[in-house]
Amino acid sequence: MEKPQIWVFMEQRRGVLHEVGLELLGKARELAEASGGRVAAVLLGANVAVLTDRVIASGADLVLVAEHPALEPYRLLPYTAVLAQACREYQPSILLFGATAMGMELAPRLAARLHTGLSAHCIDLQLDGEGHLLQMVPGWGGGVVATIKCPVHRPQMATVMPGVMKKQETSQRYGEVIHLTIPEDLDVSGPRVLEVYREEPQAKPLEKAEVVVAGGVGIGGKEGWQLLEELAGLLGGAVGATRPPVDEGWALEEQMIGASGKTVRPRLYIGVGISGMSHHLVGMDGSEMVVAVNSDPKAPIFEVADIAVVGDYREIIPPLAAEVRKRLKGGDAP
Amino acid sequence: MDRIIVCVKPVPDPKAWERLRLDPVTKTLIREGIPSVINPLDKHALEAALTIKDAQAAEVVIMSMAPPASQPVLREALALGGDRAVLLSDKVFAGSDTLATSRILAAGIRRLGSFDLICCGNFTLDGSTAQVPSQLAELLGIPNIMHVSRMELGEGKRLMVTQKIEQGYVRLEAEPPLLLSFTKEANKPRFSSFLEILAAEKRELAIWTNAELNLAEGSIGLKGSPTQMADLLVRQKGRQGLRLEGTPEEMAHQLADKIHQLGLI
Amino acid sequence: MDFKLSEREELLRKATGELAESEITPKIDAMEETGEFPEDLLKPMAKMGITGLIASPEYGGVGLGYLARTIVLEELSRVSAAVSMGMQVHHMAIAALNDFGTGDQKKKYIPPLARGETMGCVAVTEPSGGSDVLGMQSTGELKGDKWILNGRKCFITNSHTSDYWLVIARTGEGPKGLSAFIVDKTAPGAKTGRVEHKFGLRGSNTGELVLDNCELPKENILGQEGGGLSVTLKTVSESGRTGMAAVALGILQACYEEAGKFASERVLYGKPIAALQAISFYMAEIYTELDICRLLCYRASWMKDQNLRFDTESAMAKSYTCEAAARCAKKAIEIHGAYGIMKEYKVQRLLRDAMVTISAGGTGEIGKVVLGRAALAPFQKKG
Repeated sequence: MEKPQIWVFMEQRRGVLHEVGLELLGKARELAEASGGRVAAVLLGANVAVLTDRVIASGADLVLVAEHPALEPYRLLPYTAVLAQACREYQPSILLFGATAMGMELAPRLAARLHTGLSAHCIDLQLDGEGHLLQMVPGWGGGVVATIKCPVHRPQMATVMPGVMKKQETSQRYGEVIHLTIPEDLDVSGPRVLEVYREEPQAKPLEKAEVVVAGGVGIGGKEGWQLLEELAGLLGGAVGATRPPVDEGWALEEQMIGASGKTVRPRLYIGVGISGMSHHLVGMDGSEMVVAVNSDPKAPIFEVADIAVVGDYREIIPPLAAEVRKRLKGGDAP
Repeated sequence: MDRIIVCVKPVPDPKAWERLRLDPVTKTLIREGIPSVINPLDKHALEAALTIKDAQAAEVVIMSMAPPASQPVLREALALGGDRAVLLSDKVFAGSDTLATSRILAAGIRRLGSFDLICCGNFTLDGSTAQVPSQLAELLGIPNIMHVSRMELGEGKRLMVTQKIEQGYVRLEAEPPLLLSFTKEANKPRFSSFLEILAAEKRELAIWTNAELNLAEGSIGLKGSPTQMADLLVRQKGRQGLRLEGTPEEMAHQLADKIHQLGLI
Repeated sequence: MDFKLSEREELLRKATGELAESEITPKIDAMEETGEFPEDLLKPMAKMGITGLIASPEYGGVGLGYLARTIVLEELSRVSAAVSMGMQVHHMAIAALNDFGTGDQKKKYIPPLARGETMGCVAVTEPSGGSDVLGMQSTGELKGDKWILNGRKCFITNSHTSDYWLVIARTGEGPKGLSAFIVDKTAPGAKTGRVEHKFGLRGSNTGELVLDNCELPKENILGQEGGGLSVTLKTVSESGRTGMAAVALGILQACYEEAGKFASERVLYGKPIAALQAISFYMAEIYTELDICRLLCYRASWMKDQNLRFDTESAMAKSYTCEAAARCAKKAIEIHGAYGIMKEYKVQRLLRDAMVTISAGGTGEIGKVVLGRAALAPFQKKG
């Protein structure tokens, strides 16, 4: 069985590592331990050597660093060239990317350059008895899970969504750092970056929101309603309601979800203090994930929930909002 | 610009998704009776091309790799304003993964001749890998920009492109030849006009098989696909009904984990 | 017999459906509330070619036939029968100009209508009657080189949104004493009167037109002097009835969709109510009515496109489809149970819209008069 060299692309922008790279190192570590392989991280940029300690602490046995002014900010063609050269030189067995904006642009281009296979948005990775990477990919809105293999071509490439894998952080790890030589004739062609800027996500109308936080009669009052608005704001989502909050004036008519209101199909629906009458359910049962928070364990909404949280929303939503806030900050901190 | 190619993929109509069934034996989707539509993001790609055509008079060519039954979908793209359409269709293309598909599209595009711009949707509703745009560009040896949320014509042939990234945007400038893949933020796709529907009836829809493309058998279809499907499991459609346990704070933490796993934070 | 629609017809339907769902749906609540026609819809509908559908390309139209028109009106009506009604009557004005206008009249009046810059209306009905056309009281008198019109027209669709009115008035005695006129609303003595508040087709503008010594240039007579009855009969029986039938057909399609959706989602006794035989029988009835009406509507339009005489077929399509839409709307409401009578649910609007179509564009009874004559014609005895 081949001893896999498992590589992870460490995405960074402006010297800040994307958490997904560290998460993938955690998974790579797990795969390496099971197969006796080594984990290498690949880090490209301008002044990125300072990040190697954290990368090693997160599970890399080896960090391959490529530093060059042309590699900051990220540009597709120079990055593809450097990574392709590194892969040809070191011949890794597996190469993992985060399924981020950068990863989704870079990984496929590199796979095509290397004439190898790539699977997208894996929800799990395993090694089979022969050292092949088994890539679990969801399809049809989660209705099916395919297991993809890349039996012949190398490296076996996969992208994974942030948050799917778990970071491992140990203080005592030893790792090697190797600086890759950048070719004189590095391909720096292609689109020129004029500006990179942050922007707060725009509030989306209810029907287009990726996240919907909906409240029902169980909210009890306008003050409670603010907790929902806060949570929705943090998640970049919209606030929905059943009929009673609209009647009480906590929410607007156009926020009403149900047979006589709006139909929503967000990626995440969080129903708080909603009992789950059928005329509300038909307005949201197409949601990808349904979370229900209600103090009544027998509330009908739990029958259509993926995640049931039985409890007082006033004790659950505030700590949830705090956790979300923490993770949003953490995603950008070194 | 002289020629813009728009890659269009026919996908099962999302309105009919509830009716899609998986054949448990062949592990493929049963598509009978499910109408096909233009992949929604491809409409944004087509709109971008047509906006340039409105301003500058370019030829917009619709290109698609799909079964022959997909001709009505290409006709729809012509009825939106495409000047001609090419359908790449051959039994030997079946089973292609994204790399093999990109090889086939690249061959079709090379056969067309020169081009300035290729426009694609950022991802398709059915495959959703978002891999073809970068792979196609690589095989054609041209740069590409994904996640395009805005495109404007600059001086001469320059294009000013805005790319959507996590929590922000990147502004770029580029020249043809170039491949852009569009998000739904990029524009509002036009409706067909009746006059365009009538005019489109006279536009060419050519079908090219591998006889025209001459691709080696080992580079296309199942044989040409580095990735293979080893297994396919149908997940239970019902809701999981996972009941969280613990104190409210513990449950809140577990809930935050689940939200994180969805990639939303 | 080939009952298949062509690819062109499918594309027309698809484009119209997308526009209706995207641009018209958000305006429905306001229409129900105010009854006003959303005039900002004219631009997107004109851009698509809906306003100029049957106008010749020579005058800025698309030049499609009546089957295409029926499909487009049906698809509009599926979302909003009120908007479809506005377009239907607008087409009638264009049809009348097409059939009876001089070259100059067509050149002047059809392009703005085709381009949706304004709407058109057809003013026949008066307080003295709509069915009783010959009993009309409005008069037209030639004084020098001007026609002077006097009278009131009521229950006129697009009365307040139209710049051009096709007005029928009595200019002489007997059946050959009616004449048709093109009235520009800016003409001296031309006024709009009251706006009617209907219980259905809300969003289709209906109102009164007043002619108070209205002065028209001599050239504004449409067709021959004394030919007004022909103008009325042809316009109403051809574009009018097929248009009304298409509006009702769209309502029927909406009834079918709403009822089917609700029956498949509403759970009682542990199953969707669609599993109950009674509900499935109602659905069977609605499904059959829908098919019957579609065949009647398409057949009548097809005959026009083949230049065949079709006034019986159009009468049949109109009177049957409007009644069927009301019957099926009632069934659809009953399938919804208590939800069916709540204003938040779409289905109650479908019944109100269907009821209005029964008496609009020719009452059901007049339709039956035409059909009765046709039915008995083969059995007529000599003498």
